[in-house]
Amino acid sequence: MESRNPNEDLLQEFLNGDSSEESLRRLTEAAAEDPSLASQLASELEFSELIRQSFSGAEVFAAETFESALDYQEMTKDELIEKACEGSISREQSDQLVKMLWEDPVAAKELRDRLAFDEWLREAVSGSKREEAFLESLETRMWAETKEDHFVEDFTERLEKEIAAQEEATGNIVPMPPAFSRKRTTAQMNGVAAAIAVGAFFLVQQFTGGTGTEKSVATVAKSSIDAEWSNETLPGDEGEILPGRYELKSGVVSLQFVSGGEMTVEGPAVFTVAEDESAFMYHGVAMAKAGDSKNGIPLQSKGLRVSESVPLIGIDARGEHSTAAIAFSGDGGVCLPDGGKCRSLFEMEAVKADRIRDKFVAIPFDPEPFSKTWELLAGVEKNMGSVRIEPPGTKIEASDSLDGKNEVQVFVENDSFYPDHDLEVDQIQLGEFAGAETNPGQALQASGELRSYLLQLWPSEGGDGEEVEASLTFDHPVVGVIYSSDRLAESDHSVGTAITHVGEEFNSGRGLDSGSDQILLSDDRRTINLKLNGGDLEVDQIRVLVALN
Amino acid sequence: MEISDRELFTEQVREHHAGLRGFVRSLGVNPLWVDDVAQEAFIVAYNRLEEFDRERDFGAWLRGIARNLVINERRKDARRKRILSDNLTDVLLSTSSVAEDDEGGVGDTGLAKLNALRECIRTLPEKSLQMLKSRYEDENSAQKIAEEIDMKPPAVRKALERVRTSLRNCMEERMNLATSS
Repeated sequence: MESRNPNEDLLQEFLNGDSSEESLRRLTEAAAEDPSLASQLASELEFSELIRQSFSGAEVFAAETFESALDYQEMTKDELIEKACEGSISREQSDQLVKMLWEDPVAAKELRDRLAFDEWLREAVSGSKREEAFLESLETRMWAETKEDHFVEDFTERLEKEIAAQEEATGNIVPMPPAFSRKRTTAQMNGVAAAIAVGAFFLVQQFTGGTGTEKSVATVAKSSIDAEWSNETLPGDEGEILPGRYELKSGVVSLQFVSGGEMTVEGPAVFTVAEDESAFMYHGVAMAKAGDSKNGIPLQSKGLRVSESVPLIGIDARGEHSTAAIAFSGDGGVCLPDGGKCRSLFEMEAVKADRIRDKFVAIPFDPEPFSKTWELLAGVEKNMGSVRIEPPGTKIEASDSLDGKNEVQVFVENDSFYPDHDLEVDQIQLGEFAGAETNPGQALQASGELRSYLLQLWPSEGGDGEEVEASLTFDHPVVGVIYSSDRLAESDHSVGTAITHVGEEFNSGRGLDSGSDQILLSDDRRTINLKLNGGDLEVDQIRVLVALN
Repeated sequence: MEISDRELFTEQVREHHAGLRGFVRSLGVNPLWVDDVAQEAFIVAYNRLEEFDRERDFGAWLRGIARNLVINERRKDARRKRILSDNLTDVLLSTSSVAEDDEGGVGDTGLAKLNALRECIRTLPEKSLQMLKSRYEDENSAQKIAEEIDMKPPAVRKALERVRTSLRNCMEERMNLATSS
């Protein structure tokens, strides 16, 4: 059998696009030493190019090109430039223009200036809309590409002020939107946490319907202590929400709808509620949770409407020209307004409806704008100390974002479930601190709807080992606490946790087994206080079960 | 990254975003992709901020990045190109400069020019404004505008040309006034 020249193999590899760096280097060296190989290589490359061109079909248009050539000869340079700026220039006309410009560099410079001027005209005519869209889009891209680097809020905030000042000075054609959509910085979030740490949330008495002739569609179920309504749009004396327009100047409120859905709104916000229990957000941040009916609250903004109910959805309608939507739980669909395009919205997916471009843009999943609305929805009415309520969808895993801080993370593990058998929980004495140690446990009967929270203190390398204190008040009574490692592992399945780091080694030390940690459940079974040893090398986890009914 | 670097970048975005878009467009980038290319230039600049020599002009550095991005466009597959034509971009690139003293060009005065232009547009008669908006806000061609307002396309082109010339003169006058005061 005839042996093949190794250079031929190298050449074929190259022509087939399979060359590695090494084989390309060898082929180059061989071609340098062997003129016939170099010649063959050149010939093959030329032929490859011919094959490529034959697919592009360039010659098919030859006649057409010739006819066009006859036409465009009658066009002047200015006409061609006009067409180029308009975007209606044909390929042949473009070639003709290019030929002219090469011969006349001054004209090329004129065209560049004209193109730039056109761009400014576009921007100037559209007022601040385009500027805002550009910056919002840049913001999104920077978030996507720089991930944790939260510099963007700083410049968006500054630009907002400066553009507003500019527009005030120049009296621009289009009024300035009230605010850019922006995300909170970590520092701001810490500020939020601090505000909550002094017990910001309190439960407002559960109201039952309006007293007027109009029927209320919802009631204010909870408010943060800083919640302030506009005087013109106050809810009824007993918190009833009649169909109409409301303005929440600050704080967070939770509205319980008659059909069972719950919506939390963060001020400043302007929204309307209709008789059919739909809500339209003109401005602000809102989260909506479907009730028992699972139909959800039909949410809308100027940028989008929720067309297919999502069990837990958030919309950020602070941007004048865009609305962001996140499906935190379950799938659904959203549409652009006025019969615009619709699209599916899958769990943990985020989109932005861009009103200027009239389209949806996929954006990074970022739950932070919803942190305050979520806290009210999560059922933690009050928290003090080193506590962080994790947004929905956060994986229960080792947290690398605590920056060496000892914080108790609170995960809503399972929002609602019915255990199919009794659960073994740890014994706990009401009303006094006690060491969390080995105990015989007790059975929690499988007799109703429960919600499960997982509290977690992750050992922090940068932590100073000091005791970590935390206090959490829930909106439903605590019926079971599980802090023993074995009971935590045993109850994982019943609870249906999304915990990601289970394993034999992990399970053996995840609870409060050392006896050095202390736990207290208040007499009314609503508040859990923790004193945890921050110097532990293993994670501390506590499962809290509350009864929803 | 240093906080001061971020502050610097924030300032630069504010200062240069308008001018940069004009510069990008002046290199023959498809109007639909101008924002995209300009944003990419900002992202590249941000990621390479440590390489930036503070003694140099940031605007020129940014335009240099944008220029390289546009050059790279020519190597892309036709379907993915963000420029209108390779040849057109070639000739526009050959006459472009990223230097700050690019007389009458699209350098660091972009934001000031934009503000001046906005003021000039406010003085336009209603009909001219309507035509300008149709062309630059709604992106209609002269042909389409002519259909809309029942004029002949050449007349629309002529009218747009007059408006542009008047706006350019107005903008330059305001810029000169600002410089002299």
